Amino acid sequence: MSNNTFSGGVVIANPYPVNQVEIVQAPLPSKVVLPLQQRIGAEAKPCVSVGDRVLTGQIIAKTEDQFCVPIHASISGTVTAIDKQIIPHKSGLKSNCISIESDGQDEWIETQGCGHDFLHCDRQTMIDYVQRSGIVGLGGAGFPSHTKLSKATDCHTLIINGTECEPGVMCDDALMQHHPREVVRGVEILLHITGAKKAIIAIEDDKQEAYQSLLMFSHNDRISLVQLPTKYTSGAEKLLIKALLNIEIPSGGFAADKGVLCQNVSSTKAIYDAVIDQRPLVSRIVTITGDALTPINAEVRLGTSFEQVIGLTKVNSQAHDYRMGGMMMGVDVETTQVPICKITNCIFVNNKKPVQATKECIRCNSCNTVCPIGLLPQQLYWHAKGKNIDKCMDYHLLDCIECACCSYVCPSHIDLVSYFSFAKALSKKQETDQHKTDIARERFEFREYRLERNKQERAKMMAEKKQALKEKMAKDKQADSAQKDKIAQAMARVKKTKEDNA
Amino acid sequence: MHSTGLNTNQIMRQVIYALVLGVSASYVFFGWGIIVQILLGVVSALIVESAFVAMRGRSVLASLSDGSAVLTAILLAISIPSIAPWWLVVVGVAFAIIFGKQLYGGLGNNPFNPAMLGYAFLLISYPLQMTTWPVDFLSLSQVVDEVFNLLNFDGISGATRLDDVKTSLSLGSDIATLQVRSISQSWINIGFLVGGIYLLARKIIFWHIPVAVLAGILTVASLISMLDAQQHLPVQNHLILGGTMLGAFFIATDPVSASTTPRGRLIYGFLIGMLIVVIRTYGGYPDGVAFAVLLMNMVVPLIDHYTQPKVFGRS
Repeated sequence: MSNNTFSGGVVIANPYPVNQVEIVQAPLPSKVVLPLQQRIGAEAKPCVSVGDRVLTGQIIAKTEDQFCVPIHASISGTVTAIDKQIIPHKSGLKSNCISIESDGQDEWIETQGCGHDFLHCDRQTMIDYVQRSGIVGLGGAGFPSHTKLSKATDCHTLIINGTECEPGVMCDDALMQHHPREVVRGVEILLHITGAKKAIIAIEDDKQEAYQSLLMFSHNDRISLVQLPTKYTSGAEKLLIKALLNIEIPSGGFAADKGVLCQNVSSTKAIYDAVIDQRPLVSRIVTITGDALTPINAEVRLGTSFEQVIGLTKVNSQAHDYRMGGMMMGVDVETTQVPICKITNCIFVNNKKPVQATKECIRCNSCNTVCPIGLLPQQLYWHAKGKNIDKCMDYHLLDCIECACCSYVCPSHIDLVSYFSFAKALSKKQETDQHKTDIARERFEFREYRLERNKQERAKMMAEKKQALKEKMAKDKQADSAQKDKIAQAMARVKKTKEDNA
Repeated sequence: MHSTGLNTNQIMRQVIYALVLGVSASYVFFGWGIIVQILLGVVSALIVESAFVAMRGRSVLASLSDGSAVLTAILLAISIPSIAPWWLVVVGVAFAIIFGKQLYGGLGNNPFNPAMLGYAFLLISYPLQMTTWPVDFLSLSQVVDEVFNLLNFDGISGATRLDDVKTSLSLGSDIATLQVRSISQSWINIGFLVGGIYLLARKIIFWHIPVAVLAGILTVASLISMLDAQQHLPVQNHLILGGTMLGAFFIATDPVSASTTPRGRLIYGFLIGMLIVVIRTYGGYPDGVAFAVLLMNMVVPLIDHYTQPKVFGRS
């Protein structure tokens, strides 16, 4: 079997640990901003207008796209705007959002799910509930859960990812400690939906409290709890599958191809809510951490601004750097006036630090040693820096999961991952450009062909016409001479008659 | 986000510290020569590096602080005879830094090990000065006289140990007496071995290259001595004489010019070890480390290309 790990990765302890992992209930926000663009798929179309009153959990935007989930109001109140706002994305760009002003009532829509006796519900009904409730992967990928569930038709093992995606993030830990019953019931629901024989809940061995809490509720023989060594990138789906089952998902393939389904613990809890009560996903647990404040976990309504969430804890100093997502794969954000989304698992607030100067790469090999995918980051860096995309592809650029282990260990402090994401973007651009030139070339070639064809056709036509004319002229000539003959004969006859008469 | 592990500058410094034992052993047996050579080398390295980096319009301070120029100078100064004339190390270091490193774009871009490039250049250009070693402990004043050619006295110098051994062997001398005379060399090698183990323990170098170099040396030396034990050095002497340990732990492991894949480093090291013995035994030069390393530096891109590790999810 496996030794519950994979090669590579880095061991990083939580840089800002807390004694007790608690969940702070954030007060109802006075206003929420809900982006219409989800992580994956088309932008949702609003189905409310400015001035409408909406209830908590009401669908306010949806798409036809089967991959997408609808967007729900996370508070009750009045729609105040449907316009472009800054969204929490590394580009810092604006995107269409719906703003709702709270009426302070938090009045919910009425819903009804399968109820606690969910076994009577069929698979498709449950998946529909999951989609209608807007459940996506809450670990950070944001992949819609119903899509994963409907693809998992031939699933033998269910993996519940409770490894916490990055050091410092505690939201899944908090959820497991405070909602163990819901998580385990959620796993049972997933077993029912997928028909999998067994489920494994994977927890890192630094989360003993979470492990113990779950252990108290997991009495089902089909569900087992497995502790993994605390190592960063354990949370990456393919690596987790490798660690637990020793199954390697092929490059470019999906877990479902090998009969495995992965779900994050927070998503599992959300699926529980969706199936039992058809309760839409309108809040999530966010870790607020960093060296500038006292770390907390808070349950926050989606669409609450970062500023308000950060305000829940004591911030120690003035000048800060903000980062959303983890310290490894997260992205820096310039402003705190952006809303919490379904994938916002963590906000880092750090004191401003001087940027560390980078040195040249000395090919020291630290990066190859930690790469969980087995790539050669220093070679990729060399070629990415030279914008030699073909070479990057030889070194399997597209297999890079951008986990930033290489950047973390680099003694020259080179931010290797940004070179790789740059190279990926460049390769995509080259591909699009190539596609464009291909189309342009095809069109040009067709034009040339068309012109040539027209020319030939015209020449042929001309030749035919000429021939026809020639033939006609010859015929005419013939007819002419026949006519002349006739005339001559007639003249001769006339002459003869005249002579005869004379 | 970066780990709090060693940074590039600290790595270079650690390598320099790891050289202390070997250098001390050399001091114990041959006196002040090595210290004077290192000082000369370091000073010229700092001057040459500063001048060249300034000419390239880069930050002189950043470049000097990485310690790579100093390390190159020390490695070269250790490798050349400790009583060589002062200009030898100066010329060697200048060549190493300019042609071995800066012309390729500075640290990290050089295909060849700069110190060994400097060494090879000196050995080819000044064979006499490069093979005249002291035979006894020399005081500071004696060294200064010799290095700066203030006095021209004879009797304190001899041929390179390995050269000496080779010549004596072909003349039919007794191996046992030669082994006794090689004690100083053995201690120096042990000094570098201990320093190398320190680097391994600090995870500054990986085991692949040194182990493979030593394995390569053992393999070829055993083969050769099986063919003709009388005419060739005993196997163990290959390990403790000449630049073996310095080469295995400090020269061949230079990450910039070495192979980078795990399998590649084994191949790279093993071939260096083999070449060292082949050059020592059949070549015209006293020691083979420099040429073995330079030859293998040339092959690194090829080795790296064919030894890529298995990528996750690919067969």
